[in-house]
Amino acid sequence: MSFRVGSAMVALLVLALPFVSFLLLALVRPLRRSAVAAGTTSIAFMVAAVGAAFWLSWRSVPRALLQSPSTTWTWIPADGGPMATVGVMVDEKSMAMCMLVTFVSLMVQLYSWAYLHDEPRTSLGRYYAYHSLFAFSMLGLVLAPTFIQMFVFWELVGLCSYLLIGYWYDRPSAARAAVKAFWITKLGDLGFVTGIVMLWVAAGTFDFWDLFRLANTGGLPREGMPLIMFLIYLGAVGKSAQFPLHIWLPDAMEGPTPVSALIHAATMVTAGVFLVTRAFPLFLLVPDVLTLIAWVGAFTALLAASMACVENDIKRVLAYSTVSQLGYMMAAAGAESPAAGFNHLLTHGVFKALLFLGAGVVIHVFHTNDIFRMGGLRAQPLIWVPFVLATLALAGVPPLPGFFTKEAILGGVLEAHLTVPFAMLALTAFLTAFYMFRVVFLTFFRPGLGDSHAHHHVPPLMSLVCWTLAAFTLASGVAMARQVLGSGQHGDAPPWLPAFSLALAGAGILLAWLTYQRQALDPARLSAALAPLDWAARRRYGIDAVFLGLYRVALLAFSRLVGWFDRYVVDGILNVLSAWTLRAGDRARRLQSGLPQDYVYGVAFGVLLLFVLAQWRLR
Amino acid sequence: MTLETVGFAGVAVVLLAASLGVVLTPNLFHSVLWLAAALVATGGVFLLLDAPFLFGVQLLLYAGGVVTIVVFAIMLTERLAGRTIRQASRYLVNGAVLSAAVFIGVAGFLVQAPAVTGRPALAGDLTVAVGRALVGPFALVLELLGVLLVIALLGALYFARSEP
Amino acid sequence: MPLGAYLTLAAAVFAIGLFGVLTRRNAVGILLGIELMLNAVNINLVAFARFSGDLGGIIFTLFTIAITVAEVAVGLAIVIVIFRVRRTVEADHLDLLRG
Repeated sequence: MSFRVGSAMVALLVLALPFVSFLLLALVRPLRRSAVAAGTTSIAFMVAAVGAAFWLSWRSVPRALLQSPSTTWTWIPADGGPMATVGVMVDEKSMAMCMLVTFVSLMVQLYSWAYLHDEPRTSLGRYYAYHSLFAFSMLGLVLAPTFIQMFVFWELVGLCSYLLIGYWYDRPSAARAAVKAFWITKLGDLGFVTGIVMLWVAAGTFDFWDLFRLANTGGLPREGMPLIMFLIYLGAVGKSAQFPLHIWLPDAMEGPTPVSALIHAATMVTAGVFLVTRAFPLFLLVPDVLTLIAWVGAFTALLAASMACVENDIKRVLAYSTVSQLGYMMAAAGAESPAAGFNHLLTHGVFKALLFLGAGVVIHVFHTNDIFRMGGLRAQPLIWVPFVLATLALAGVPPLPGFFTKEAILGGVLEAHLTVPFAMLALTAFLTAFYMFRVVFLTFFRPGLGDSHAHHHVPPLMSLVCWTLAAFTLASGVAMARQVLGSGQHGDAPPWLPAFSLALAGAGILLAWLTYQRQALDPARLSAALAPLDWAARRRYGIDAVFLGLYRVALLAFSRLVGWFDRYVVDGILNVLSAWTLRAGDRARRLQSGLPQDYVYGVAFGVLLLFVLAQWRLR
Repeated sequence: MTLETVGFAGVAVVLLAASLGVVLTPNLFHSVLWLAAALVATGGVFLLLDAPFLFGVQLLLYAGGVVTIVVFAIMLTERLAGRTIRQASRYLVNGAVLSAAVFIGVAGFLVQAPAVTGRPALAGDLTVAVGRALVGPFALVLELLGVLLVIALLGALYFARSEP
Repeated sequence: MPLGAYLTLAAAVFAIGLFGVLTRRNAVGILLGIELMLNAVNINLVAFARFSGDLGGIIFTLFTIAITVAEVAVGLAIVIVIFRVRRTVEADHLDLLRG
């Protein structure tokens, strides 16, 4: 990417448009109550936002290496310069993310209109309000010029995720999933905020550009940096579902499918990767942390891929796939090739969203998520072509974008001499192709249900969105292909790498075809061959159970202790004090006996006291 | 032993005995009689202090008027009650202790004060001087006192009226 | 006799009167105790007046006697009214101001 900078004002406009939409929908009740008005408002503002984002990139200008792409205003004043600022940082990464976020948001909002057609009218207004808020939050996150502003929007994005996962809040499973997502990402956020504050203590600023300058000139202390950057990375671990905080993402599929497409595929979960990419100059100072990131990323990728192979729920498969691909992106960053990871983020965002939306189509057709209850759609290419296109992209088949970006990541990892992560990622590529095509064959091409009905009706809006995304995927892939062929060679990757990754993809597809389409291999015997792994994968390797146990034992026990303390000690002290006061009052009341002679006693005592006082004064 | 000393001793004994009689007698009527004696003894003290006019006033108003009023009140309340009201005192010890404490408190001041034995010479007739003062500098107070007595009279009349 | 003797006598009568006020059950009995206390005050006033040559003490005594008479009259009137209403003059039973 060339270094470019965009207009701050246009960036603010991009940020403001979905926010205005949210405000309108949140505050103007009649607007929200009418689903048509709500949807129209939100979609209209989103279209404008897409236009503004496009304008932002179109009108960006090249910037010099040392020119700051940030525009900031004072927020928290302090002596000797503001403590924190607000503003926008409009460099090439933010502009690309703006385009991705606005475009996919728009696609998803359009799709939702048809997908959630059966929803009650008032709920839909709430849905679109949340969508607008989310778009605003995510845009704020990518445009943030300081750690603290990013953190604020980070939390807002987490809130939107909670609201949207728990959209059907009367379903206990959805409510639980929303809380779980919130809790687990919060664990990561604890590290994030601690790291940010420690960084501020060490460096005196939250601003990215200032921090990068300090990093380059050696103005940051050596000793504390690994811990600080590790803590900041923890935020990414939570948000981007790296091991061991990946457990919330599969459960987050309780939300509506378009929501999963938007925030659990393309945008929110990529915030962690975006963070690492954004703060990369700081991570360069701590190569140990980068190595850790690479290892954890590769391991996450493999772990998630293994769990995806045994899943029956189509959305869960896609969720694990997302976790896996996020692992890829993190591994790229850890291998000091953040650009490769970022490119994968951008392309993956589009075709993963397409995969989810395509899954939504079949879910809509079959009224179930179970892939073993689907099939027989061979005769309706309108339904399966976009999905299969996206699957090929994910598996890494040229000329689709997944091939180029995945290969770039593998090349980067190899270049950094991280052989074990490379092996893990290679195995993951094979498994990715396998499980994705397993889904494809079972969902679409298996002779079965669909044949009995002549034609399944798919709402045209959903089809349109899917085909648009598919066209985009293809176009970007072709553009990448042309760029690669035009430049002759791609980077310093070994020449055998493209063939190798293609072979991996091909092997996976072949295995899936043989097992599920041809029925040449029995899937039961396959799982029997890998019995222990299969058993563990089906139980998600027990990681969920560990967290649940920790929660029950540690957290609830602690809560009970605190509760006991509050009830018996704090309340106890207050109750005792009040009881004593009342008792003292009762006793004091007896002074007022109503008998005059008792009052004379009082006067006499007073006189005696005066005598004593006077005697004392005389001395 | 001067006359004054003997006189003082006698009057003091009578006064103290009568006071004790007032507060200790169970019968209320006897109590009033003891009070009369105490008031007369006080008049005697006034005489010893060269204030014969006050002696007269004391006998007239106090021993005469107040005692009469109190006797009337006792008769009325006793009559209405239909029985002799017995005086069973309450918390004798407490009262005794407190009274003794007050006495000791005052006496404590008295022993610390320098002794004053000499009386200044009398400047003419005290009674005439009192009379002159009453219509002179203290005239206003005298008038106010009259108003007070009228108010007291009215108050007493109001309280004593028959119920409507 | 020195001034102190008269003052001590007055203090003793005052204390005895206070004892009467504190211990008597009958309302009239209490008033008698008050009479004694006022009497003691009068003795004090006259003694000071005589030993300092100031006429004011004597005048003051006249006034206190007059006021005392008025107070006794009104006080006894109140006692009689209370007796009419509540059929008792025992101080223990007059506790309407009880808190």
